[in-house]
Amino acid sequence: MEYAIELKGITKSFGPVAANKNINLSLAKGEILALLGENGSGKTTLMNMLSGIYMPDSGSIFIDGKKVSINSPEDSGKLGIGMVHQHFKLVERFTALENIRIGMRDEGRFMHGADVRKKIEDTAEKFGFDIDLDKVVSNMAVSEKQTLEILKVLCYGAKIIILDEPTAVLTVQEIDRLFDVLRKMREEGHSIIIITHKLNEVMAISDRVAVLRHGEYIDTVVTKETNEKALTELMVGRKIELNIDRPVMEKTHPLLEIRDLTVKNDEGVIAVDHINFYIRGGEMLGVAGIAGSGQKELCEAIAGLRKIEDGQMIHEGESIVGMSPKKILEHGISMSFIPEDRLGMGLAPSLSITDNMILKNYNESKGIFVDRKTASEEAQKVIDRLEVVTPSTETPVRRLSGGNVQKVLLGREIKSGPNVLITAYPVRGLDINSSYTIYNILNEQKEKGVGILFVGEDLDVMLALCDKIMVICHGKLQGVVNSNHTTKEELGLMMTGTINIVNKDGKTDGIAKDSAFTDEEGNA
Amino acid sequence: MRKYHLVRRADSKIGRTIIFYAVGILVSLLIGAVILMALGINPFDYYGKMFTIGLVGNRYGYKSIEGFLKIFVPLLITSLALGLSFKMRFWNIGGEGEFLIGAITASVIAFNSSGIPNFVTVLLMCLAAMISSGIIGIAIAALKVKFNTNETLMTLMINYIMLYVIRYIGETKADWNFFLREDSERPKFGTFPDSAVMTGIPLGQFKLLWSVIIAIVLTVIVYIYLKYTKQGYEISVVGDSSATAKYAGMSVGKIVLRTMFISSAMIGLAAALTVSASGTISDTVTNNVGWTGIIVAWLSKLSVPAIFVTSILISILQYGCQAAATQYPAIDSNYADLLQGLILFSVLVADFAANFKIVKKEDAKNA
Repeated sequence: MEYAIELKGITKSFGPVAANKNINLSLAKGEILALLGENGSGKTTLMNMLSGIYMPDSGSIFIDGKKVSINSPEDSGKLGIGMVHQHFKLVERFTALENIRIGMRDEGRFMHGADVRKKIEDTAEKFGFDIDLDKVVSNMAVSEKQTLEILKVLCYGAKIIILDEPTAVLTVQEIDRLFDVLRKMREEGHSIIIITHKLNEVMAISDRVAVLRHGEYIDTVVTKETNEKALTELMVGRKIELNIDRPVMEKTHPLLEIRDLTVKNDEGVIAVDHINFYIRGGEMLGVAGIAGSGQKELCEAIAGLRKIEDGQMIHEGESIVGMSPKKILEHGISMSFIPEDRLGMGLAPSLSITDNMILKNYNESKGIFVDRKTASEEAQKVIDRLEVVTPSTETPVRRLSGGNVQKVLLGREIKSGPNVLITAYPVRGLDINSSYTIYNILNEQKEKGVGILFVGEDLDVMLALCDKIMVICHGKLQGVVNSNHTTKEELGLMMTGTINIVNKDGKTDGIAKDSAFTDEEGNA
Repeated sequence: MRKYHLVRRADSKIGRTIIFYAVGILVSLLIGAVILMALGINPFDYYGKMFTIGLVGNRYGYKSIEGFLKIFVPLLITSLALGLSFKMRFWNIGGEGEFLIGAITASVIAFNSSGIPNFVTVLLMCLAAMISSGIIGIAIAALKVKFNTNETLMTLMINYIMLYVIRYIGETKADWNFFLREDSERPKFGTFPDSAVMTGIPLGQFKLLWSVIIAIVLTVIVYIYLKYTKQGYEISVVGDSSATAKYAGMSVGKIVLRTMFISSAMIGLAAALTVSASGTISDTVTNNVGWTGIIVAWLSKLSVPAIFVTSILISILQYGCQAAATQYPAIDSNYADLLQGLILFSVLVADFAANFKIVKKEDAKNA
């Protein structure tokens, strides 16, 4: 068999941490290889060595059977390797054409030559891309940016394309379209590596699957001869149950009711547009939407961190509009938001677990001193209960692994005994095991009668875990559906704004029958 | 092709850090020795005088300690104050300017204090200096909080503004200018009346000034403040992540204003104690504490006990260099400055080397 890429004994360390240990991997010509592994298993590091961002400490790389040394992204490009990064590398103020043009080295001096445009248009047509070359990147939707990234590497003549988690930001329909393009590229003789940790996608698109675990190469299997369960076991290293529990609780009255909520984002653009919804006790309401559809602004508004432009927020019959974050917390609404960097909000990374425990209630103790004795007891309780792996309560949070950081955060949020828990992306970046621990913690809270708002990314998880799912698109409510009576496809169409079922069958989604609102002013 | 690259060391061992520091200082002393020998001075002799700050074989040894303390007190207080704002990631590099404001307001009281009891005058000087410096600090913090201005630039500019203000006062002969001596034709700063000069506890010939005691008490207070109080906790959280602080319901703006007021007011206090202890003011009254304090705070990794120790060491270095330089006609205080610079530079390099290492590409896997 002829290989486009062969990696032999690749090792890369960052300080004492070995990100890749003795990796052997091969990519046949004209195949789609899925690179599967949990977060932190070294997938991205390995691919960054192919694209010249890192250099291996040892081991060799063969391209088309020839041993090569890749010392820079430029070398990588010359060898016909193109990488589409998870975080796009585009100039926001440039048009699509300009973004492609700046990377073309041997096309003369002028930016907008006719021959350049022709060349790009030909490539786009060949692979069936639908793209407006004169659109400025900052006006593009996420899927358009990704299309541009792929077109860019194709225009640079890449024969080997690496895609790092390309589906993370796309809806179901957009993923299908992406996969069509990838298959077309395969037909044209390109070789593709796709990094992902979504098993259904692996099964759908790949020819073979290579699995990494904790920086080590485990195995490569042919997709047709395997199944999701077997792949999970390879990835995690042991047998694992893939079912998420959804305890059914008797639902109580609406704890939190949101009516006509309108919020602006940091740029002053409306991010949440007249949204209605409510959460009952013992209920988990999922929030689905493409990244940046107003999820963050919604969470911040409820927690009192963001000024609202319009609307009502009623918690147990009392309006929380205009209350300070502290007051809202005292009312029993607790919010935890895991941002993309996972540490930026909610935790002070250099401080100890103890110090992070008291972040929201350090002011409750009497006197001018911080009560660290109680705090460290509480920290110990959270560590015991949620099985946080840490040397001690005094360890800085920064030194904990991702899963443990999120357990600390969630542990703090539930220790104050809230009756409404807002949690955004609580399993962001976690491996399968830690994710299940988090789901269990949330279910426990639900069984206690807490109302939970779960802002998530993975539709499969939300369908399994949440009782109901509300979908937002560009800050607008598209409908609230019961998890038992919907499909991923329906959710996908709602997320892109294709269908809106808010006013279906004469009833309006998001407004409770037994609402605490009694009149137009919203007085209880 | 890059063959070598820098890697942060995984662990930090105190032993290794000390060895690196020692090597760094040794190297800088060797370079200094070469220069000394070129000038015909025995380096052992010189360094001996330097490190004993001229104590050994000196009938007026207590004078050396007094001189050392005069350098030590302002440096310690300023470093603590800067450490306080750095802990909050507020880059207050305006120590010089804040010091000068405090020195000027304290002097305004001092020059007009004839007849007022000494204790009252010195107390008033301290209060005036703290308030005036604090107001400048709070103003810069307010600009940052309100309009998100760059505090580094703002505090930096204050240094130059105040430097020229004091030069103007020092060079302008006028009726209103009570800062200057009346009996001198050339403009020259006057000396404070006795009512404004710091007193102390006499211990034999040596006089332990109250400012030293205040500085030590202040160190303990700042230590407790940062480590155990709620306000200290707020400073750490804001410094670590202001998004988190906001999210926890802290009023970040208020914390920044308060901390910056405390930080600048402490520098103002250092200035009042300094002018009172020396009994006069000049445009070199800061002795560069606003700059040196930054180095002290960073070398100490913002730890209060480390700031205390580092301030002692740097003050010994400064005073020792000056004291030794006065003994030799061949060199002057410029050599002392040169040597200080060499030592500080090599310590910073040593600190870097203790935290990072250079590895060859092939060896990286064994790192």
